[in-house]
Amino acid sequence: MARRRGLGGPFFLMLGVAAGIGVGRRWLDVVEVRGTSMAPSLLPGDRLLVESHTYQSREPRPAEVVLAADPREPERELIKRVASVNSAAATAELRGDALAASTDSREFGAIPLSEIRWRAVFRYWPPQRAGRLAEGD
Amino acid sequence: MLTIRSLLRPSRIVDAHCDIPCGIYDPEQARIEAESCLRIIEKHDASEDKLFRARCIHVKEERAELVKHHLDVLWHDYFKPEHLEKYPDLHETFWKASKQASKVKQSLDAAAAKDLLAMIDTIDGMWKATGGPEKTRVSGRPS
Repeated sequence: MARRRGLGGPFFLMLGVAAGIGVGRRWLDVVEVRGTSMAPSLLPGDRLLVESHTYQSREPRPAEVVLAADPREPERELIKRVASVNSAAATAELRGDALAASTDSREFGAIPLSEIRWRAVFRYWPPQRAGRLAEGD
Repeated sequence: MLTIRSLLRPSRIVDAHCDIPCGIYDPEQARIEAESCLRIIEKHDASEDKLFRARCIHVKEERAELVKHHLDVLWHDYFKPEHLEKYPDLHETFWKASKQASKVKQSLDAAAAKDLLAMIDTIDGMWKATGGPEKTRVSGRPS
């Protein structure tokens, strides 16, 4: 699992916090991960900065970690990785990194791109694993 | 007042979801119930006691139903699309095994019960070849 050290992380975080104040959690928000289907990249209790700006101007890309409503239970929000994008159908296949312990598009099918608004970009908790969520991380 | 602390408090929980699952699967569970069916049929046939024979039929039907249940769980929870690529006849195999379990439930045919065991062994082979013992038992299958 690649992890970036140095000033990049804290700087990014402060920038995020400052921007978060400005936009009132409409473009930036923080979420907590529950469940193990994204292990080892994301573990239960990890806290992440998520942003909804990117997908207003482009489609999700494979390997990005995204939030999407569970099609079978819309009030539940899932966090999964984009496995593939079908631009023509405007859908994406989502997968958990822990394939054996994940309920994802293999089970509930592809997700409409319109349902994927948030992208996870940064983990700020726990501090020892804080850093940008690199693709494939 | 907005503080850093309040800003860093998650606004919501996101699910890295799975239907639990406990992730423990082993065709042995189905096999043990199927072995019960076979042995019960043999005991039924060897007995003259009407009451005992009636109990045999009753319990054998319960066990056969459990075979179907355990096969179902393996089929839709353990096996995944990538396994289907490796075993294109996976669905057919499960379908036939479940039908065979129904046959064992309905009859007192020891040969049918033996066929069912053979079918479960085929599924067991798929489970082993896809890493089942390492991935879906706590420390492999006890020897």
